[in-house]
Amino acid sequence: MTVVVGAVAVAALLLGVRMAVNEDGAGEGATAGSFAARTAWGEPNLTGIWKGDSLGAGSGRDTFNLTMLEALYTPEARARMKELSAKDDPTMRCAPPAFPRAAMLGHPVQIVQSPGFAYVFTEAYPAFRIIPTTGRPHTSEQYLFPNYLGDSTARWEGDTLVVDVISFNGEGWLASAQDRPTNASTGVWLTTDAMHVVERWRRIDADTLEYQARVEDQKALTMPWETPKVILKRQAVDGIEEGLCRPEDGPATYLARLGS
Amino acid sequence: MSVKNSAVMTMLAGSAIAVLVLFAAIGASRASAQIRPYTPPQTAAPGADWTERIEEILPPGVESRAEATARLVAYKPDPVKYPVPRTPWDGKPDFSGVYWPDATIAPPPVALESLYRPEAREYREGGGAARGLFDWRGIDTPNYHCWPPSPVNGSMAGTVQLVSAPGYLLLLNEGAQFFRIIPIVGEDGRRPSPRKPSFQGSSVGHWEGDTLVVEVTNFNGKPWLGGAQPPNQPPQTSSDALRIVERWSRPDAQIFEYRLVVEDPRMLTAQWTGPAERRGLMPYDAVQESLCFLDPELDARHREFAAAEAARKAAVR
Repeated sequence: MTVVVGAVAVAALLLGVRMAVNEDGAGEGATAGSFAARTAWGEPNLTGIWKGDSLGAGSGRDTFNLTMLEALYTPEARARMKELSAKDDPTMRCAPPAFPRAAMLGHPVQIVQSPGFAYVFTEAYPAFRIIPTTGRPHTSEQYLFPNYLGDSTARWEGDTLVVDVISFNGEGWLASAQDRPTNASTGVWLTTDAMHVVERWRRIDADTLEYQARVEDQKALTMPWETPKVILKRQAVDGIEEGLCRPEDGPATYLARLGS
Repeated sequence: MSVKNSAVMTMLAGSAIAVLVLFAAIGASRASAQIRPYTPPQTAAPGADWTERIEEILPPGVESRAEATARLVAYKPDPVKYPVPRTPWDGKPDFSGVYWPDATIAPPPVALESLYRPEAREYREGGGAARGLFDWRGIDTPNYHCWPPSPVNGSMAGTVQLVSAPGYLLLLNEGAQFFRIIPIVGEDGRRPSPRKPSFQGSSVGHWEGDTLVVEVTNFNGKPWLGGAQPPNQPPQTSSDALRIVERWSRPDAQIFEYRLVVEDPRMLTAQWTGPAERRGLMPYDAVQESLCFLDPELDARHREFAAAEAARKAAVR
């Protein structure tokens, strides 16, 4: 009898250890979606609501490598930037900022996966990205539609989702007007339709997502710019809130909402 | 949507039924109802060749949205010929796909307007929770503000993409980047906590057999359940007591169907059953980015109107 009880106890212990390994420390069923380390079809599972710290530059602070970015702009781009000001930032019209800028705002991001796709939803400027994860080619050039968030396609490199993004419309900015890392900063962070972003999304542990991006823009930057690694933490909520950006609120209100 | 896109959409409408034929082969390959390993569908890339496909699949003579809609309404679902696709993780119907156009297969049994409480008239005249903001006798509606559409009025308009994912149904609108993330209660029975009151409310889904039943509550009182018809019918406003129950089903692999019941005891004298809608699967796997921008001229008019209202009220006091 003692032996049987002992065996059950050992089995339970083993089961417990195995579950802990499977779950990567995350509680299965904590919300409707599963947070297990891998999806039912075997991909790393990025499902969840994630949020990083607000990053940026100003007052001697530069948490997003913007000093480096500023140094990379071509003379032609600088000349154009001097003619622009905060009101030309398309987020002032509530156009959603593309990643990597969206990752530096410190607002929640929700990710849901289905077989062959990842969906990224942003709360601050409500928008979604549809990211094929099978490594298929981009939409053929003939049918690309330049837009704010670009055309994404991704593949898994080990446990890292590597997302290649092209077909931007050249209107988005890479940072906000408040971001002024140097005395010479214009606070203007333009892009062109030549922008090409490569993002790396990786779940480090059950509660931590790492994001990093490399930005090329042959019409504006002399060399690629790399963002620092951004750490996003799992949020103990069941979903993002319904964000509402209203131009009529005025710039002050929604820049405040952006935390920039 | 641009004029060019509108033209394409008209052609797409015509192709909806032809798509049924295109997908017959896929349906046949899913003949077994048991759960199988999943292979992502090999459909067109986002924005892929619409026009060529349309020419390829559009049968001669079906070129208008009206005709496509009529054929969708007349369509008899055939789950034997076109078995319902099922997810590999729970065996429930897989809604994933891009759908168009919306076709009403059963109109509401009674008109929504007939259920409005007479005492709500003054509230409605004032524009409801958006009091002082709307000039409803003009062309003004929540849509013009780019406010998120409620499930009753607008969120199902245009081209929609549905995604079945473990624990979720996603609704992605091509109209203006609006989306709904609908959590589905799992085996543990735990319900997600509601979010702050909002235009689209908080959704919670659960399965009743093969029907996904979604309860939507926690609205902010601002959605319209239907438009105004000036000069006599004020906006069909809602209140924060609004509760919507949606029923999503896939009678076969070619279509999905959508039904809803609306309760709002502060506005309506009884439950209202909305129209039953049906949509056809399209040969695309993603909607395109499209954004809603407030018209600056309309915005200026709003400000003038709101200022005039405020002045008028101040004068009355």
